[in-house]
Amino acid sequence: MIELAQYLLNGISQGCVYVLLASGLTIIFGILNVPNFAQGHLYMVAAYLGFYMVMSYAMNYWLALVLATFALGILGLLVYFFVFYPIRNAPEVNLFVAAMALLMILEGGALFLFGTETKWFLIPWSRSVLSVGNLSLQVQRVIVIAGTTVVMLALWLFIKRTSLGAALEATAQHREGALLCGIKVSRISAMAFVVGTALAGIAGVLIGPAVLLEPTMGMGPLLVAFSAIIFGGLGSVAGAVLGSVILGVVESLASGYISATYNLAFVFAIMIIMLLFRPKGLFGKEVWRP
Amino acid sequence: MKSVFSPERIGWLLALIVAVLLPLVVGGYLTSILLLIAIWSIVAVSLNLLYGYTGQLSLGHSAFLGIGAYALGIIGVKLHIGFWPAFFAAIAISGLFGFLIGIPALKLRGPYFVLVTLGFAAIVGVIVLGWTQLTGGANGLAGVPRPTPIPLPFGKTLRFDSLLAMYYFTLFFLVLIALICHRLVRSLLGRTFVAISRDENLAEALGINTMQKKLISFTISALFSGVAGALYASYNSVISPDIAYFARGMDVLACLIVGGAGTMAGPMIGTFVMTAIPEALQIVPTLRTLINGFILLIFIIFLPTGIAGGFKALFARRRRSLSSGMGRNGIA
Repeated sequence: MIELAQYLLNGISQGCVYVLLASGLTIIFGILNVPNFAQGHLYMVAAYLGFYMVMSYAMNYWLALVLATFALGILGLLVYFFVFYPIRNAPEVNLFVAAMALLMILEGGALFLFGTETKWFLIPWSRSVLSVGNLSLQVQRVIVIAGTTVVMLALWLFIKRTSLGAALEATAQHREGALLCGIKVSRISAMAFVVGTALAGIAGVLIGPAVLLEPTMGMGPLLVAFSAIIFGGLGSVAGAVLGSVILGVVESLASGYISATYNLAFVFAIMIIMLLFRPKGLFGKEVWRP
Repeated sequence: MKSVFSPERIGWLLALIVAVLLPLVVGGYLTSILLLIAIWSIVAVSLNLLYGYTGQLSLGHSAFLGIGAYALGIIGVKLHIGFWPAFFAAIAISGLFGFLIGIPALKLRGPYFVLVTLGFAAIVGVIVLGWTQLTGGANGLAGVPRPTPIPLPFGKTLRFDSLLAMYYFTLFFLVLIALICHRLVRSLLGRTFVAISRDENLAEALGINTMQKKLISFTISALFSGVAGALYASYNSVISPDIAYFARGMDVLACLIVGGAGTMAGPMIGTFVMTAIPEALQIVPTLRTLINGFILLIFIIFLPTGIAGGFKALFARRRRSLSSGMGRNGIA
């Protein structure tokens, strides 16, 4: 029983990373209809940025978190204006390919700049563990859960309580309608990209001290985040959050009870089964666009 | 009516002659690079059938490449079965996997299909790394058989133990597969592929069983990629999980788009350019992915029809006639 509770706890903390990635993906997808394949690699870049700020420049971890998030936001802005804005009217497949090219650039750049050997992101509390009764969790994992909760609340307030957030939601719901209402759709698209990549940045720096850094570390979480979006229903941030937590728990249970090697295979299998029998996900609207 | 010696046919013939004669002139190192170009061209040609002509973007072709390679490796090394039965079994297995994955995946469209192919490639990658007893895990498999000699009449045998013989063996499959694809896209079936790529709903409304046609295209594409995987395994004699790594599928897609998707010459031009230029400039392998990504990005923004598509547009403008090109012209 205690084992199960521990696995659930691990799963939730892992799921929080997916929550941040998946909500960023959902926001970008809602506006641009592009599955941003580079999202996982942006998260990897952020983790390395945090690593170098803390380890090489002895920066405070929290300052590094803020700076790396801003840096990723600016990177998102550049990516939007130099890559996705010029081809906004091209067939959607071209946008997929562009996102894939970004993934290749980020992975290749990381391999070149950071090398293939894994790195430890060490902060003062890296090795500390918080124990309550028989349950225990790395302190950094607790910070991940707390940080994700704060960020998601802020995101929710931003979307629901500010006019910019309302414009974002309106554009995601109906692009032409938003244009007719006088919303500057291209600015909102840029903002969506900035918010989406900044979320990946937060995820990367939050999880960095709890995992090993390597240039390919983004691919697994990216695919799980996509699975979570499909599981929860595309286009709904709430669905993405719930899907992420569920898949985080599934991954943790699968590695605990079945096999740690194949835990990701279970997650993808769930995604494929979900697509087969309920393609619109748990809370999704229609899957096919005309 | 096209004359027997249209400029296009002469071009193909010249390319074939160069491909046959070049290894006799250049040294062993360049021949081995030509061989790799031929192998990757096969994957690019097979992906072109699915993406360029049928309009289905798959990021999962590393999976079929890996399945073809590992099927030959496992059957040849672990079961000690001779090369030829193992080779044909490997091809059949890749095709079978294509068929089985295609059934669920092709029900989906747009981003969903792309994601399922990527997820499938990731599953295959995880299994190849994880199932150590079968695949050797991270160490890979060594001793994958080379083709065994074929007896010919008059007491001669066709042997494959030299690099040159292996090159011609690969080139034979490239030409065969390119010819099959050429005939296929000009057949009624191929026209339905193109119809699906242009507008799937319209094709369905016209009475085309789009699911069935897409499945045929996907299966053939997987099967041909499996051929390339098996050839790679046999040539290299050692296979590592890198062959089934999802980035290999993306590299091939990059070659296809740079060369020109939806054209016959595109995949081969693209593979040649994307392999030959880094090789000529002596670029370190670690930089390859970065540079490939940049080249792909520049092409998708400025010339999404690729090199072959660009030439086609240039000639069409010069002749001031309507291009009767096939495939997804204007769409990468």
